[in-house]
Order: sequence, then structure tokens, then C-alpha cells
Amino acid sequence: MKGVLIIAEHLEGRLAPSTPELITTGRSLAAALGGAARIAVLGSGVRELADRLAGYTLDVLLAEHPALAEYTGDGYVRAVRGIVESNSPRAILVAHTSQGYDFASALAGAMDLPLVTNCLGLDVDGDRLVATRRLLNEKVQAKVEIHSERPIVVTMRPGAEKPMGPGRGMMTVTAVPVVIEPSAIRETFLRLERPQVQDIDLSGADIIVSAGRGIQKKENLVLIEEFAKAIGGVVGASRPLTDMDWLPKTRQVGQSGKTVRPKLYVACGISGAMQHVAGMKDASLIVAINTDPTAPIFEVAHVGFVADVLKLLPATLKELKA
Amino acid sequence: MVLNVVVCLKQIPNPDLQFQISPDGKDIRRDALNYKLNGADEYALEEAVRIKEKQGGRVVAVTLGPKRTEQMLREALAKGADEAVRIAYDDPSAFDVGKNARLLAAAIRTLPHDLVLTGVQSDDYVNSATGGLLAGLLGLPHASVVTRVVVRERQLEVTCELEGGLQRVYALPLPALLTIQFGANTPRYAPLPAIMKAARQPIKELGPAALGLVGWDSIALPYSFGVRGLSPPAAKGHAEMVTGSVEEQAKRLAQMLRDKGFVRR
Ligand SMILES: Cc1cc2nc3c(=O)[nH]c(=O)nc-3n(C[C@H](O)[C@H](O)[C@H](O)COP(=O)(O)OP(=O)(O)OC[C@H]3O[C@@H](n4cnc5c(N)ncnc54)[C@H](O)[C@@H]3O)c2cc1C
Ligand SMILES: Nc1ncnc2c1ncn2[C@@H]1O[C@H](COP(=O)(O)O)[C@@H](O)[C@H]1O
Repeated sequence: MKGVLIIAEHLEGRLAPSTPELITTGRSLAAALGGAARIAVLGSGVRELADRLAGYTLDVLLAEHPALAEYTGDGYVRAVRGIVESNSPRAILVAHTSQGYDFASALAGAMDLPLVTNCLGLDVDGDRLVATRRLLNEKVQAKVEIHSERPIVVTMRPGAEKPMGPGRGMMTVTAVPVVIEPSAIRETFLRLERPQVQDIDLSGADIIVSAGRGIQKKENLVLIEEFAKAIGGVVGASRPLTDMDWLPKTRQVGQSGKTVRPKLYVACGISGAMQHVAGMKDASLIVAINTDPTAPIFEVAHVGFVADVLKLLPATLKELKA
Repeated sequence: MVLNVVVCLKQIPNPDLQFQISPDGKDIRRDALNYKLNGADEYALEEAVRIKEKQGGRVVAVTLGPKRTEQMLREALAKGADEAVRIAYDDPSAFDVGKNARLLAAAIRTLPHDLVLTGVQSDDYVNSATGGLLAGLLGLPHASVVTRVVVRERQLEVTCELEGGLQRVYALPLPALLTIQFGANTPRYAPLPAIMKAARQPIKELGPAALGLVGWDSIALPYSFGVRGLSPPAAKGHAEMVTGSVEEQAKRLAQMLRDKGFVRR
């Protein structure tokens, strides 16, 4: 009970960007525990992916079965249950992604395991695992501790750690037995749907002015558009605005929308929830305008204005025209 | 096909507020907070009510929380829930998602449930874990981050959101559990007569005994959990803050945009 089991995430033959980050976390956690980190790849026809992961210098467990060709909660829980029972890791690391939420919590429920999710950091203190998390829209940090005789399921927030690059040596890939009766999988995968490309493509824009719920009313979008035009930019948005159909889905920046890297990103009345930040944190210059001085957007912004965006933008437009 | 739907609702402090940490460092100060229904749960409730309106059946809204949550449950009744249940676990902070989920599961076992809905995340603790835990504990097939639900006899067809706008579509047999995503529908407003009626409706209260427990702490947990401490987040790269009147701020912003070459003139 010293090792760490990492669960790889992949789609259509590509590794999720969160997986190399999990490897970083998993290796330092394993070192603190005095054990080894291993990574499990589940799927069908994923040998090549497993070989590639072995290049990250950790041992790979390859769980292949036709029933694992597409992700299902039941399929993954079955397969990982087998691996956990024969490896008894101290911790099981999963990325806090859509698939991660689905799988990690169901595994913990089905196997009656402790669970801590959406962690930014992990420490070991004696026989306790100490997790650092954020609460209340990033405004409060919490350290919680878990002590258990059973493997602890942990999800790590993407972006919390630097991704591990492939190393020099190659480690072993061990195929593990997977026993799944097809009837044991109750969720049937039907299809993958891709977003329709219409409208503009934000991901290539140099200047983006994004509006959030702080603009209060749909009518105020005119102001955002006018400001964007004045600086040669395009209008993006946080999710609530596209959910309310104020703007098309293609304008949504964030985890479930577009990832952008413009030269300038102006966040207008956007709180800075982790899912929004995931899509814009790499912009070269981030300017945030928000009435709440404790809004987490000021943590990623380079320049911050505690101001009513509905007043600051008109005043700035006047200055620009002067 | 008539469906019994259970929807889990959480009352959270409005996250737009500023928070202070209590003197013992184990919770936020709760004396002057205003509370509201968790964002994603508004969509879960609406989805539950729409499914009932289409299929027939009942919607039971369940919460775990102190007395103050009754107000949220009445709002749910006014928006179309048929019954409201409060698990009277009064810990104002209730940080341990595993314990909460095990108590919720114990309560849901006592209710008829063809479909259990939760929100995708609580905006105060952002675990995104309760739904999956409940599915595992109750032995239900499940799907997460659901943006669309179609009921076909004893089957559901659901669309689940992934990163970057990708979606996966699954079919699930009933009974099942879904975690509902923001934007899945357009939540309704409660009509005034329904609000008046909900004010008089009883709220069912479940104590430990109703869940087969001697006390709240006798629920079996495979671990021990503790809060070490809360703190303001360590400022990573805090922004350079521009202060002053709106006019002064506007001057600075305009100047900066010019200096950096973002204004062509
Ligand atoms: C699985 C999942 C995926 C998600 N994907 C995304 C995504 O891709 N993109 C995304 O954006 N979100 C996403 N979200 C939602 C995300 O969690 C937040 O709910 C959302 O980003 C909040 O948007 P907001 O900042 O506009 O609104 P709020 O959080 O409501 O913030 C509004 C802000 O405006 C400020 N404000 C109010 N009035 C003014 C004013 N007059 N002037 C200036 N400021 C003002 C307030 O102080 C507040 O900070 C996702 C959530 C989940 C669970
Ligand atoms: N105390 C609670 N009472 C009722 N439902 C809850 C409670 N906590 C969480 N939930 C449900 O679980 C969902 C996810 O919460 P979380 O796992 O905390 O992110 C919420 O959207 C609610 O639907």
C-alpha cells in the first residue's frame, strides 16, 4: 500500500493534456510515500499509447478489452476495480475532467473508497494525505486531510501541475487481465458529436474582448462590441452568456468552449471561474474589469480594474476618440 | 412511462460575495451570508419537472442541510416539485462530500426512484463528485455533465459534454442517475399562486433514525476526514491594480492600449 495508480485519459488515440500533469503529481506523491507510480491505460487497440506512456519512465498497466473501446462509467469501474484489487495502491489519481468526474466518483462509490476531488496539490503527512483545494469561486483555499486503510481516489485539476515530458529510458508495459461480461456495462456509447463550425473562429484572434454575466443585460453587448471594434478585436464570452443565447456557442471561451491565446484578452464582468480561466490563461496580456476586488479573475490578469464595466468602457471609448 | 424522479438540491452562499474565515480557521464566517439554490441545480430541477410533465410521475426534491434550506425547498415546490425532503444534518459547513453522499444515498434508498438527478457541481465546494458517488453507492448506471435528456420507454438517451465542445451520446437503462450541466434548459420562474401554495406545503424531515442510523456520525465511512484549515488563496501572480475614479482608470486603460499598440489611429 505505497504505490500510486494513475489513470490515463485518451480520446481517438490522443492522450488528454491532463495525463502528463497527473504523471508529475503521481511521481512526486509516490516518492513521498516511498512507493512507485504506475499508469493504467484502458481501451481497445491502445498498445501504441501504452508504449508511448512507457517513455515517461513509469510502468504501464495495459487493460485491453473490446468493451473498453469507448469510455463508459461501468466499463472503467470494472476494469480499474480489478487493477486496484491486485495492486492495492495508496492513491488513485484521475484528472478532474468531464470524464474524470464521471469515473472517479463512481469508482469511489462502487468500491466504497475515500474520495477528494478537484485538488491543486497533494502532500503526505505521516499516515495522512493532505489535499489543497479551492472553494467558493477560488476565493478560499482549503487543506483537508484523509486517513484511510483503503486506496484514496483523488482528482487533480488540470493545469495545477507542470506536465511531465517523456524521459530517457523505457519502462515495462504489462498487460493486465480484464474480465467484463458485456451485460455488466449498462451505458451504451452511441456517438461522438463535434461542435459545428459557423460564425468566427476565436482561437485565431489576436485581440478578444470577452463579456461575462457582469454586463447584466443583453443590450449591453453593444458596448462590448463597440469597444472591441475600437481596438480591432472580436467579442468572446463566458459560458452563461452563450447558455442564454446572447451570443453563439462559438464565442464561448473556456474548458467546454474555445481555448484562446490572443495578444490581448479583456475580461469584462467575468468572475474567473476555473473553467473559464482554463481557456484564456495563456493570453499574453490579460486585462480584467470587475466590481469585486476579490474576484479570482484578478489572479490570472496582468492588469486589473475594480470598476463597473458599464461605466469604464464608455469612459475609455471617449478617451480613445479624444 | 410514469417516472419517479429524485432531484438533489444544494443551498450555497452566493459566490459573488466576499468571504471571511472564521476565527478557528475551519470554516467561513456564516453570520452574514445570503444563500441561494446552487446554479447547476436550477437546471437539474427544471429537467426533473419537464420530464415529469412529459412522462407523468412525481418529482421529489431532496436536500441535506440545516433549517435554512427549507426556503430553497419551497422554491423547488413552487417550480414544480411534488414533494420536498430535508435530511436534517445540521452541520453548517458539511465539507466531506463522501459523508454527504452516503447520507443522501441512504435517504434516496427510502424513496421510489426511476431517475436521480444532481447538478454537475456545487459552486461553493466544486467537488463534481456527489452524482458519481451516489451512482456508485446506489448501483445505478450514470452519465455526467448532461446537456440533453430524451426518455424512450425504459431507456434514456443522453448527451454528455466533454472539453472543447465535444459531446458523447449514450443510451442508459432506467433506473439511472444523471448530473445535469448548466444551460441544459431554461429554468422557469415560479408563478405567484404556486409560491403561495408552496409556503403552506409540508417539508418532510429525515433524522438519523429514518435512515437507519443511531446518530449522524454512525454512518459507516471507510476513512476519516478533517479540515486542516482555510485561508485566503496564496496570490500567485496578482494583477497590477489600477485605482482611482472611473475617469482616471479610463485614461490609464486608454493610455495602456495605445502604448501597447492596440489602437490604430
Ligand atoms: C463542466 C463545466 C464546464 C464549464 N465550461 C465553461 C466554459 O467553457 N467557459 C466558461 O466561461 N464557463 C464555463 N463553465 C461555467 C463556470 O463554472 C462559471 O459558471 C462561469 O464561467 C461564470 O461566468 P461569469 O464569470 O460570466 O459569471 P459570474 O461568475 O456570475 O461572474 C460575474 C462577475 O461579474 C462581476 N460584475 C457584476 N456586475 C459588474 C459590473 N457592472 N461591472 C463589472 N463587473 C461586474 C461580478 O463581480 C462577478 O465576478 C463551466 C462549468 C462546468 C461545470
Ligand atoms: N448537501 C447537499 N444536498 C443535496 N444535494 C447536494 C448536496 N451537496 C451536493 N449535492 C448535489 O450534488 C451536486 C454536485 O455537488 P458537488 O459534488 O459538491 O460538486 C450538486 O449540484 C447537488 O445536486
